[in-house]
Amino acid sequence: MKNSLEIRKTIETVSNIPTLPIVIEKLTKLLQDPKTSAEDVGKAITSDQVLASKVLKLVNSAFYGFPGKISTVTHAVVILGFSTVKNIVLTASIFNAFGKKITENSFDIEKFWLHSIACSAAAQCISRHVGHIDKEECFIAGLIHDVGKVVMCNFLPVEFQAVLKDREQRNCLLYQSENDILHITHEDIGGIICERWNLPKTLQSAVKRHHFKGTEKDFSIVDGIVHAADIFVRALDYGNGGDNKIPIMSECVWRNLGLKEIELTTLLHDISEEVEKASVFMQVLNS
Amino acid sequence: MKLVDVEKISEDLILAREVTGKSGNVLLAKGTKLTVSMGHRLKNWGVQYAYVEGEDLTSEKNYVAIDPNAISDRLNIIFSQSLNSEIMKQIYKAVYEFKISHGAP
Repeated sequence: MKNSLEIRKTIETVSNIPTLPIVIEKLTKLLQDPKTSAEDVGKAITSDQVLASKVLKLVNSAFYGFPGKISTVTHAVVILGFSTVKNIVLTASIFNAFGKKITENSFDIEKFWLHSIACSAAAQCISRHVGHIDKEECFIAGLIHDVGKVVMCNFLPVEFQAVLKDREQRNCLLYQSENDILHITHEDIGGIICERWNLPKTLQSAVKRHHFKGTEKDFSIVDGIVHAADIFVRALDYGNGGDNKIPIMSECVWRNLGLKEIELTTLLHDISEEVEKASVFMQVLNS
Repeated sequence: MKLVDVEKISEDLILAREVTGKSGNVLLAKGTKLTVSMGHRLKNWGVQYAYVEGEDLTSEKNYVAIDPNAISDRLNIIFSQSLNSEIMKQIYKAVYEFKISHGAP
């Protein structure tokens, strides 16, 4: 079994870890250019037909709430905006890269994605309740917060199996077993992947620090939102990220997001509605 | 029949269903005339809600379909390592109330 340094090196260097499609890089460049038109973005996305069909399936779902049919990607860009469409493309790409499990172990990949998608919906919902503007960013952060687990599952099967076995024996949180057995956690591994994928720093940070243990000075709103979303989704029992326990909500996050001022049952009601709408993401994942 | 928080039990309420403990033992029989101190005792035994006689002003149809004990049993597993935190106790209570009111298992 590899030690934490060897694990880090494997994740940093192994060549068969899926990369994000070139279209993401193209889109990032296009979005930085003020002269870019909806048609340019549409063309870039449709250069990957599989991705384009998934994008159309998502934009026409109840999650985005458009009653009429959006038949082209360019039309989607006009209606939803550049940044939303880029995030939909990112979502579809992440499913393509890590949607399936390629190793045999007891990790339930379907429940894992159900937990991740629910976390996205919850993060988006919390961002609205706490007045954070970029709810799209929170959605993606929620979706990929546990990506380190699926990377371990697929690329460190021996180590991950040892973690799963220890977690079951001790009936604890998965990250406690990761920490005790491997001295490296899915937060660290997910962080390395996000760096390799060149994702924005805010997303990298949320992946690296969603089990927030910091103080006021370390607090970032997206990290905090994903931390809270993970806890609410576990409490509501949506999916399973590899354990059936719930970590403790950071007091710093609770205070800084103003969650103590929010009517929790209303928030939970809104989260459950968003999660229901987000169920289309499971269909796209499985298609 | 309606579901009430044991902390809100008043002297004139009558139990519409027996209250059972985690192992299924009967703590209070159906028809028991409740008192405030019984409410405190139920809370100490880990019971949060009880069915009492009377008109349900929300939706009785939803309430009878779910088992509050099954909800608290599940939540007790999920929250087993986190209830030493006051924040987590608040979340537990909110999730319990949400699940009861929405008929979610």
